[in-house]
Amino acid sequence: MNILNRWCALSILAVAILCALPPAGAQNTAKEAAKPAASSQHARHQRPQLATGAAIAPDGRLWVVGLNAQAQLFVQSTSLGGAVQWSEARILNTGSDPIAADGESRPKIVFGPNGWAVISYTMPLAKPYTGFIRMLRSSDGGQTFSAPFTVHQDRQEITHRFESVAFDGQGVLHTLWVDKRDQPPKGSAQKYAGAAIYRNESQDGGQTFGSDTKVADHSCECCRIGLARNPQGQLQATWRHVFDGQTRDHAFASVGAPANRITRSTHDDWQINACPHHGPGLALNAGTSGYHTVWFGIRKVNGQDQPAVRYARLNAQGEPLPETLRVLPDARAEHADVMADGQNVAVVWRSSEGAQTTLKAWLSTDSGQNFTLKTLGQATGYNDHPRLAQSGARMVVVWRNTQEPQVHDIRF
Amino acid sequence: MTSVFKNTAVAICTAVLGLSASAAWAQVHHHAQQHAHLQGQAAASTRAQRTVLPFDETSWAHALQHGPRPAAYLFTTSYCSTCPAAFAVLHDAVKNRAAKPPLNAVMMDVSGPQALRHARHFKGMTQMYAFDGFEPAIRQAVDPNWPNVTPYVVLVDGKGHTQRVIGPPSPDMLRRWLLAH
Repeated sequence: MNILNRWCALSILAVAILCALPPAGAQNTAKEAAKPAASSQHARHQRPQLATGAAIAPDGRLWVVGLNAQAQLFVQSTSLGGAVQWSEARILNTGSDPIAADGESRPKIVFGPNGWAVISYTMPLAKPYTGFIRMLRSSDGGQTFSAPFTVHQDRQEITHRFESVAFDGQGVLHTLWVDKRDQPPKGSAQKYAGAAIYRNESQDGGQTFGSDTKVADHSCECCRIGLARNPQGQLQATWRHVFDGQTRDHAFASVGAPANRITRSTHDDWQINACPHHGPGLALNAGTSGYHTVWFGIRKVNGQDQPAVRYARLNAQGEPLPETLRVLPDARAEHADVMADGQNVAVVWRSSEGAQTTLKAWLSTDSGQNFTLKTLGQATGYNDHPRLAQSGARMVVVWRNTQEPQVHDIRF
Repeated sequence: MTSVFKNTAVAICTAVLGLSASAAWAQVHHHAQQHAHLQGQAAASTRAQRTVLPFDETSWAHALQHGPRPAAYLFTTSYCSTCPAAFAVLHDAVKNRAAKPPLNAVMMDVSGPQALRHARHFKGMTQMYAFDGFEPAIRQAVDPNWPNVTPYVVLVDGKGHTQRVIGPPSPDMLRRWLLAH
């Protein structure tokens, strides 16, 4: 009887301990609750951070970078042209960095010459709306990466966020970001609309960087920056800009041009003091030396607000060609991306209806004169914005859901 | 000795049952808790600074039907730096009124402590909520035509009518909201 009672008591004790342990899915919540900044009653589950960067390496393999369920930065790759076979996810050392991976703020990976590759992300700081741009560099094509380092010289606890990175045609690494160092002091009578775009460059694949340089005053505060090379390989940039204090349209500039030498590339005349969280896309229109661009905006049409993702072509200076303006054929289109090769143009976006999301593509084989609409995939529940990756004529869409990063070939 | 084990076993059984019951209660009453809060049992402002409640696809319909009236809801994100100014417009509109309508902030992209870090930017906030689920689905439940721009403000007047705006509400909207008190 004693033995039975002991066995019973020990069994119940084990069950009690098991019951008291948090389930695997609750580990993040428990970790967060331990942080001293705040406590929470909200412990049902954490939203997955699916925002992922994608790029095709010089050897033709597709790489992705993102956060896993434990918020660790990982990379993995697959060959293209056959069935997708992801390599095992490799966790990278990012120390104690928190990493933004939601919506327009995502880790990114780019490849350059000489085996150079860099991964960038925004590290949110304790104060809301602030962050540092962090980077890991590789000089062996991504086989190994450095520890993370801060890209900009300014170290104030302010906004340095929504970075974009790219190598230009000469192999120079450019980093652009949204920066609030030019804000007047709190309580000052001075007003400063929006934020600023700053940049720096590295001639040695991210080993050393030049000084922080202003691209333009008065950008929008929370949207991605679109980058594309011109025919000479120089980088061009477009971002949502605050014109005349309250009009949120888009600006275009040649990276490296003097500060504030910008061209207005859209004319929605959307007068709003708000954050669309919806930056533009940009791709070279090789035939004309101009550009294809996609963006979200609200414009008055017959006196009514018409929110839409739109497509247009720009001339070589970034000015819009009004006759090319088109509304994407989907009122629920979100977060479009654009890439082009020769006369082929691909615009992709996601479109959500309740819990269902559809991945759509709008494809042109005549430089954007005509488009064909295609549905590439569907998902239920959490999913990332679609990301185009390109190497020459090959284009793929990477679209991550909670199970995997899906890869969809673009076939014109 | 036997009785010691018996007592231990009984105590542990009680604890296990208690834990299980609590967990089950928490699951079953998740929505009930949320709705109770939306029905006007919002915590005092000091408590609101410390708590964030889940907001899912069903929350909005329930808030409109059973929530306090009048009330204001400002939907925001962790990176919406234009949102605090819009919330200040709401606060300025009600701060001198004897009966202050609840001013709620709904965080769309982060939850828990990450959401609460922003609480101090919303002076006068009654309660903070955080999206709990797939963001586009919840957004569609609130307004199928809302193009994911924040601040998105909904003013619910005393009769349950709503005014919706992207960005800070205009003085005219605020006047209509409070007139129908």
